[in-house]
Amino acid sequence: MENDQLPESKKTPFSRMIMDDFMLLLFLGVTIYAIFYLLWGVMELSNLPTIPEEIKQSLVK
Amino acid sequence: MFRTCDITGFKIDLKAEKLIRANAVFAVISLLLAVIAAILLVFTRYQPVHLLSAEWYYRLVTFHGLNALIYWIIFFEIAGLYFGSTVVLNTRFCAPKLGWFAFALMVAGLVLSDIIILMGKADVMLTSYTPLKADPLYYLGIILFAVGALLAVILFFGNLMIARREKSYGDTLPLFTYGLMTAAIIAVITLASGALIYIPTFLWSMGLIQNVDPAMYKLIWWGLGHSSQQINVAAMVSIWYLVSFLSVGGTSINEKVSRTAFVLYILFICLASAHHLLTDPGVSSAWKVWNTSYAMYLAVLASMIHAFAVPSSFESAQRRWGYNKGLFQWLSKAPWGNPAFSAIILAVIGFGFIGGTTGVIFGMEQTNIIVHNTIAIPGHFKGTVVIGTTLTFMGITYYLIPLIFRRKIVGFKWAKAQPWLFFIGIALLSISMIVLGQMGVPRRHWDSTFSGGPFTYNFNPAVDFFWALMMLGGTLAFIATIIWILIVVISVFFGPKVNGPADMQLKISPLAPQPKAHKGFEAPGTLVLTIVFLLVFIALFFLNWKWLAATWYVH
Repeated sequence: MENDQLPESKKTPFSRMIMDDFMLLLFLGVTIYAIFYLLWGVMELSNLPTIPEEIKQSLVK
Repeated sequence: MFRTCDITGFKIDLKAEKLIRANAVFAVISLLLAVIAAILLVFTRYQPVHLLSAEWYYRLVTFHGLNALIYWIIFFEIAGLYFGSTVVLNTRFCAPKLGWFAFALMVAGLVLSDIIILMGKADVMLTSYTPLKADPLYYLGIILFAVGALLAVILFFGNLMIARREKSYGDTLPLFTYGLMTAAIIAVITLASGALIYIPTFLWSMGLIQNVDPAMYKLIWWGLGHSSQQINVAAMVSIWYLVSFLSVGGTSINEKVSRTAFVLYILFICLASAHHLLTDPGVSSAWKVWNTSYAMYLAVLASMIHAFAVPSSFESAQRRWGYNKGLFQWLSKAPWGNPAFSAIILAVIGFGFIGGTTGVIFGMEQTNIIVHNTIAIPGHFKGTVVIGTTLTFMGITYYLIPLIFRRKIVGFKWAKAQPWLFFIGIALLSISMIVLGQMGVPRRHWDSTFSGGPFTYNFNPAVDFFWALMMLGGTLAFIATIIWILIVVISVFFGPKVNGPADMQLKISPLAPQPKAHKGFEAPGTLVLTIVFLLVFIALFFLNWKWLAATWYVH
C-alpha cells in the first residue's frame, strides 16, 4: 500500500522486486532443481524392474 | 566495532574482518595440500616416471579431489560471502560467534577427513560411489564441513537482511554482492543434496542401514558434486565484475541483463549435474536431454551474457578513459601490470575457450559418449575450476592482501608474472588431457598402459607427446601455485604494513567518467572477440560431431 502512494518515478518495477527477493529466488532455484533433476530422476530409478534372482546370483558368483 | 578503510572508504566490521581472514587462510592451506597431491599424481600418470604405487595413487586422487574441489574453493567462497555481505554493504556481521562456530566445524571436517584419507581408510576417490565404502569418520568429516558451510551461507543471508533493514546500500544490491547471493543460493541446493546422500551413506558405513542403492547414490551425489562447482562459477563471475570496477572503474554496460543472467544461473545451472549420468542406463533420454540440454542451455546463455558483459565493462570504461583508438587500444593500454587484472582476463579467456566450449560439447548426450570417463573430463574441469575459478581467486587475493590483511605484497614482480605462468601451465595441462581423452585414455587410472592386465590396448603413438605436455603443464602450474602461496604467506605474516593509499601497489580506479554522446556500439572490440569465440566454438562443435560419426562404421 505504501508503494501505491509513491510518485510514479519512485515505484519499484515488478521485475526488480522479483529479482531482488532472494527468498523467492531461493525457493524457485530449489524447486526447479528438486522437480526436474531430483524427483524426476528418483522416480525413474525407483520404477526400474528388479533384476531377476537367477541373473543376480550368476553375477554374484 | 568498525574501522574505516583509508583506501576504499568502506566501513569494516572488525569481527567480520577476522572471519574473512581465518577462512582465507584455511583456503590457502587447502590449496597447498591439494597441489602437493596434484604434482605427485601428475608424475604418476606420466608413465616414464610412474611415481606412486597404485594404492597411494588412488589415495591421493581422493585427497586431491576433496582439498581442491571442496575445501580450497568453499573456504575461499565463505571468505568472499562475508566480504561481500559486510564490507561491500557497509554493514555489521549478524552473528560473529556463530561465524566462528561454522568455521570450527569446517576446520574439524577438513582435518578429520584428510587424516582418515592419509591413514588409508578412505581410498574411495571424491565421488565415493557405493558400494565402495570408507571409514565412517571420513563421511563424518565431510558432513561436519558441509554443516559448517551451510551455517556460513545462512549467516550471509543474515548479513543481507541486516543491510537491507539498516538501508546500508542503495536501491538494490551491488552487482558483486548480487552474484554472491546467486552463489549462496546454489550453495544451499548443493549442501542440501550433500546432506541427502552423505547422511545415509554415513549410517550405511556404520552398518546401521543395509544398503545404499548405487544408481540412486550417483544421482543425488552429483547434485552435490557438480552443483558445488556452479557455486564457483557464480562467485568467479562476481569477482570478474568486481575487478573490472576496481582496476578500471568499469561497470556492466547493462546491469539489468547481467542480473538476469545471474537469475538464470539460480534457476537452471544445477540441472547440469545430469551430465554425469549421461551413460547411465537407469534414467531416460528425456530426463538426460531436458536436464543437460534444453533447460541447461538457459544457464549456458547466462554464461554467454557474462562472457560478453565482463570484457565489455572493461572496454567501455577504458574507452571512457580515452583509450578509444581502433578496436583494441582499450586492451593494449589495459593495466597489465596489475596482477589481479591480468589474472581475471586470463581466467575469462581460459574459462571461455577451454572450459566453456568443452563443457557444452561434452555435456551433450551424443558427443559425451566419445569422452565419457576419459581423461578429457578432468581436462575440461581443469579449464573451468582451475583456470577459471582458482586463477580468479588468486587474482582477487592481490587486492585482499592490502585491503583486508593490511599488508603490502612482497615480491610484487613475481606477483605480476605468476598469473601468466599459472595460465600457461594449466592451459597446457588441460588441453593435453582433453586431447588424450579424445584418444581414449581413461581417467582415474593408475596405469593406462594396462601392463600385466589380461588385455592391452595400443593408443595412438601421439599420446606420448601429450603425456609429456601434460607433465610440463602440471609442473609449471605447480610452480606458479607455490609462488602464489609464498607471496601470500610472506606478505600476510611478514609483509610491511599498509599505512594508507600511498602504500597500495595495485591501482584502485575511480569510476570511469560518464560516456559522452557516442556513435555506434559501446564495445566493438568485445563484439569482435565474441564472434571469434563463437567461431572457435562452432568449429569444435562440428569437429566433435564428425568424430562421433567416425566412431562406428556402418555398412
